[in-house]
Amino acid sequence: MQIATAKRSYRADEALLTTRPQRVWMGILAATLVAAPFFLDNYWLYLACFVAINVASATGLNILTGYTGLVSLGQAAFMAVGAYTVAILEIRLGTPFLLNLVAAGAVTALVGIVVGLPSLRVKGLYLAIATIGASFILHFIFVNWTQMTNGNSGLSLPPASFMGTPLTSYFQLYWVFVPITALMVLGAANLFRTRVGRAFIAIRDRDISAEVLGISLLHYKLTSFAVSSFYAGVAGGMWAYFFRVVTPESFPFIYSIFFLAAIIVGGMGTILGGILGAVFMTMVPELLRFVVDWLAPVIPNAATLLSPVRTIVFGALIIGFLLFEPKGLAEIVHRIRRFFHLWPFRK
Amino acid sequence: MLGLKTGLTRRTLVAMSAAGLLTAALPVQASDDIVIGGSIPLTGVFAFAGVGIEAGIQDYLKILNEAGGIDGRKVRLEFEDTGYKVDASVAAFNKITSQHDVHLYYGDSTGFAKTINPELNRMGTILMAGASFATELNNPDAFPNQFMAGPDYSEMIAILLEYIAQEKPGAKIVLVNSDTEFGRDPIPATREKAKALGLEIVEEIITPPTAVDVSTEVLKLRRARPDYTIFHGYILAPLPEFMTQAKQLGLETKFMGTFWSMDSSIWAQVGEAADGFMGVMPYRYYYDDAADAPMLAKIREMRPEYQPTPYIQGFLTAMLFTEAAKRTLEAGKELNGPNLKAALNSIENFDTGGIIGTPISIPGNSIPVGRIYRYDATAKQMVPASDWINLKE
Repeated sequence: MQIATAKRSYRADEALLTTRPQRVWMGILAATLVAAPFFLDNYWLYLACFVAINVASATGLNILTGYTGLVSLGQAAFMAVGAYTVAILEIRLGTPFLLNLVAAGAVTALVGIVVGLPSLRVKGLYLAIATIGASFILHFIFVNWTQMTNGNSGLSLPPASFMGTPLTSYFQLYWVFVPITALMVLGAANLFRTRVGRAFIAIRDRDISAEVLGISLLHYKLTSFAVSSFYAGVAGGMWAYFFRVVTPESFPFIYSIFFLAAIIVGGMGTILGGILGAVFMTMVPELLRFVVDWLAPVIPNAATLLSPVRTIVFGALIIGFLLFEPKGLAEIVHRIRRFFHLWPFRK
Repeated sequence: MLGLKTGLTRRTLVAMSAAGLLTAALPVQASDDIVIGGSIPLTGVFAFAGVGIEAGIQDYLKILNEAGGIDGRKVRLEFEDTGYKVDASVAAFNKITSQHDVHLYYGDSTGFAKTINPELNRMGTILMAGASFATELNNPDAFPNQFMAGPDYSEMIAILLEYIAQEKPGAKIVLVNSDTEFGRDPIPATREKAKALGLEIVEEIITPPTAVDVSTEVLKLRRARPDYTIFHGYILAPLPEFMTQAKQLGLETKFMGTFWSMDSSIWAQVGEAADGFMGVMPYRYYYDDAADAPMLAKIREMRPEYQPTPYIQGFLTAMLFTEAAKRTLEAGKELNGPNLKAALNSIENFDTGGIIGTPISIPGNSIPVGRIYRYDATAKQMVPASDWINLKE
């Protein structure tokens, strides 16, 4: 049973970590993240880096869709803008990679503001279709602005470098991506302790009431698009340094669906939801490979026979989670926390 | 109600699953086997090819291992499904190379080949080939540890143009390409080659890869009145629609395609409209019973049912992989990327057992050899329309 949790100040009430177990667990997580690369092989390091990129992007989409209530199916296209920005800056100017990532975020934020303009007139599915339209326009630009994007062949970029050392291994990239993603997640968590974040939530809950309260819909909706796109741009930039080849086909429309599914499965409107959703969507298909590996001695040619089953199981898991926990994986974590808070008085 | 429970609890199950996952994640013990790794698309849009490729590789390895393997060492394929997605292909690559001592690798796409190339060069331990025939990959300087088991896309079209130049000098040609990296790949080289051969490209049509309504494009064909229309960047759709509408308009143009559009089983579904479709194929077909193709007879013995062209491609790739490994070991050298590539490049006038109907050499990253085939809708087979054309001759 958790006791002595009464808050004596607004500051304490708004703190990110309010209980000792929370602080302990966060410390364990931080220690794990620091120690992990020394124990993981290339495969798991690759997945860790990829999860970090997807967490950054899913968190951005959660700000827009989960917290502000603006449905977007353009996240992959925004990531592509960030990836192309990084590739062009890296190839043409050779500017430092951190500056390139910030520039990628800034350029994508500007694009996001433009794409967000329809949100002032339309909501829900209509806005989703508008963002799909924007994705098609951006794809057309990637294919046809050949002087900048090299058309269908795309751009191959040199690795990011730090103090003259090229960051080519996943071990090196881990130390770039994970801290950046951690900062971005922390920034998102803090955003909702501010006036701006609360305005986003007000717009999501009832936009007309929010406007009556003095919240400028024009200002805050576009701000939400900008912030979300900034996240997508930085994630796309990290993606570019990770895969080092950016083509118009690198960010298909299905990737936008992936992020939307991630925040729905993880939990809309919670920071933890974006993280858990991205981890789930990235890791589960990979972990299912091991199930196939286990069955290999039992079933001849298991990999060929079970690969389609893997896809079906992944889909079924998503449906299952939505059926049994509509609020997402984050709610399961909250329930577990509540159980320990109240134990032994409730099971 | 507190009480002790016996048997499997949910917690025990979770713990067992976690332990199992961790165990599975541990590297597999190395053996004396030579391992070919593979990022192969067994699901997704390219699954039809992936299934055939995997079967082709496995069958060749079976033949090889039954004959004693390489220097007494067995060769085996360790592969993962990619769904034809680059990130999954890279994940599979990392998983397989973390678990096994891999020196040969089969990749599934141009995107993957380009993405993994810096890592291949950094590792320097692996020779890679795959399902991509992208022109960009046919560059030994930029892709020193890769090759393709056939001509690149530009070379495929060049083989078609050589045939056209012989059949109808000065012919008028229309190019139809999908609006993808795959589709646009050979266009610049095609323009140059056509010019060199005195052929006239009268129209270039780009369609979305998933084009359904092609009536506007067919009208362009009618205006251009080409002798030949060359498609590239498609598997099947929208080719049958093009051909049907063109026939209805009474156009005389001959339709042609490249490797991925040339499997006879996909045209068998189209029926009569497919009759006369032509294209370039670097390999013989499963049903080719030429006397100088004992390997195809062996394949038919192993698999009585038709095997598609990706199967043949996988089979030949495995043959070339293992030939490179054999030559490397025979020379007393270590199995690594540069040694394997040098061994591959030493292949000269090599007999593929009739898979390719002419002896092959691989001085660079491709095998610029092919033959023109024509689809016979009655026999439901591709029949040879030319002899083997070697661009290096």
